[in-house]
Amino acid sequence: MTERTIEDRLRQEYFELLPEIRRVEAHLKAEIQFHTLPILRSLRTHEQLVIKSRIKDCESAINALRRRTKEGKRREFATFNRNRPEEYSLLDLRDLAAVRVLAFPVARLEQIDEALKPRFQDWTPDPIANEQNEVLAPKYYVYCADAGSNVRGEYQVVSMLTGLFWEVEHAAIYKPNPDLKGAERNSELQDLTDKVYLALTSFEQGFERAILQEKS
Amino acid sequence: MKQDILREANYFYNFDREMYFNRDTRKVFSAEFIADRPEDEIAKRIGEPGSSDGWKFYSNSPLPESVKQELESVLG
Repeated sequence: MTERTIEDRLRQEYFELLPEIRRVEAHLKAEIQFHTLPILRSLRTHEQLVIKSRIKDCESAINALRRRTKEGKRREFATFNRNRPEEYSLLDLRDLAAVRVLAFPVARLEQIDEALKPRFQDWTPDPIANEQNEVLAPKYYVYCADAGSNVRGEYQVVSMLTGLFWEVEHAAIYKPNPDLKGAERNSELQDLTDKVYLALTSFEQGFERAILQEKS
Repeated sequence: MKQDILREANYFYNFDREMYFNRDTRKVFSAEFIADRPEDEIAKRIGEPGSSDGWKFYSNSPLPESVKQELESVLG
């Protein structure tokens, strides 16, 4: 009989966890929508706050585990050790369920982050940074006790343009070609990505200044 | 820049396994090794002779034999 691979075992684990992953996603999104409601109500006509959620699909979860260690660090050569199948569990991933809060303009980011922090004060911060270690988006993860005790959830608060750039990048490149995910570690592409972040941030700040000048 | 050093030495990037490799010298560097080392060390390692049999791997942590075998099958 053919021996089960690490991937086979992880697929089984994924579908056993799926109901809890769905509960964590729904619970987390509802909590965040509730706690940002006062900000949503106060937005001016040109401002936006959008909350999106997703669960990681099975193959993306396995690929992510191949690339990351339990501690969240990069696994060298993104390869499982076939002699140690017991070392791998999808429960080591921090973002099986995730919520992204997109805001425009950037001035709203801090306000949203501050509104959510008290609700999630036990969460572990894990900010997303660029190559210069400048924070692009606050990000937090933790167990979501009301929805289950095994699966961790993640939420991040990010500027609208940067968040939409990540969506486009994901949809156009990584979703149809999961094996290209390692492009993130290519130093040439990292430099180019940093230039995109810089341009988007500069545009958002300039746009905000222009709007404020027109309104004053 | 590190990228220029690798390109000039004919190293290509494997997106799936996050490694730089050269089929002529049969040497492989993990993306972490490249990220964590200064340019002069990378240049020195590139200048070292390759392996006479199989691939030579440069990594921050020792590589398990099963990982080496899988990477060798990917590299061909």
